[in-house]
Amino acid sequence: MSGPAENREALLDRIRAGACAGERLGAVDLSGCDLSGVNLRDARLSGAVLKGANLSGADLRGAFFDGADLREADLSNADLEFAVLGAADLSGADLSGANLQRANLVGTKAHGARFDGARMYYSRPGNADFRNASLRGSDIQRAIFRRANLSGADLRDATGEANFENASMEGILR
Amino acid sequence: MIVRHFLLDVHEANSFVVACEETREALLVDAGAFDTDVEAFLRGEGLRLVKVFITHDHFDHTGGLAEYVSRFDAEVLCGLAQVAGCKATRVKHGDHVEVGRLQGTVLETPGHTPEGLSLAFPGHVFTGDALFAGSVGGTSSERDRLRQLDAIRKHIFTLPPQTEIHVGHGPSSTVAIESRFNPFFV
Repeated sequence: MSGPAENREALLDRIRAGACAGERLGAVDLSGCDLSGVNLRDARLSGAVLKGANLSGADLRGAFFDGADLREADLSNADLEFAVLGAADLSGADLSGANLQRANLVGTKAHGARFDGARMYYSRPGNADFRNASLRGSDIQRAIFRRANLSGADLRDATGEANFENASMEGILR
Repeated sequence: MIVRHFLLDVHEANSFVVACEETREALLVDAGAFDTDVEAFLRGEGLRLVKVFITHDHFDHTGGLAEYVSRFDAEVLCGLAQVAGCKATRVKHGDHVEVGRLQGTVLETPGHTPEGLSLAFPGHVFTGDALFAGSVGGTSSERDRLRQLDAIRKHIFTLPPQTEIHVGHGPSSTVAIESRFNPFFV
């Protein structure tokens, strides 16, 4: 487990070495760091600050990012199956090509985020803020957007039947 | 405390292994299908399956129970005295469930089924089909629906906000997320 005395560089070294999968890292500040391709499967990063971090291609399956700051982060092609992103801030983040199957996106802020080509099968974006998000070519089969705000979102070429019960859909592109 | 999730081949149901790191005793939450990955995990980690907790009596949560009981001679804990052809120890709200040095508490969460139960450990709660990420389990009447919502508010949302919620289908969540954002409650 990450101790209070562990400095940022030492923690980054451990993460890049793949030693932090399943670990409770908590609300660490790794904003702007290059974490591309790392293995953080099942790690707990609740409340972490990862603003602008590069997590492209990372293995983040089952990881908890609840309440984390992921604004402008690069999560393209990351594997987020079963990840918990509920109440996280993904505003402006890039999740193009990411695997978000069965991911928890409840209450997530994803204003202006890019989900182009993402696999979102059976994901749970209930009550999420997807205003002006781009979901072009994504797979949204069985995704549950109940009461989500999709105003201005781009769903062109998105495939699959999703649940949009009580969702705001003003000005969406479909 | 070890918590490991398994996605089963039946209705995308989840099973979870909960184990005590010190004594290596383990409990399985729900058994929709017998899963060789669970068996391999138990063997690989040197864990001994001593109990199976059934959240509710639906086949996608009980279909593999007889096989687990047969292979591991595990005690079955449920809100019923008999489940999926297996004899069970009937547990109720407030009962404690020991797994090595871990102690869980049974919580009543009826509505999806009359006998529906959840099981809470410090930092984790297993809710079966009572509560999902951003949703709740289906009910057959308005009375059951209200009963379910009431039980979740009383027994799940009063747990510490960082408590992880592990559900019968789909992704896990936390008390903080569900109490603030689940569309069925806010």
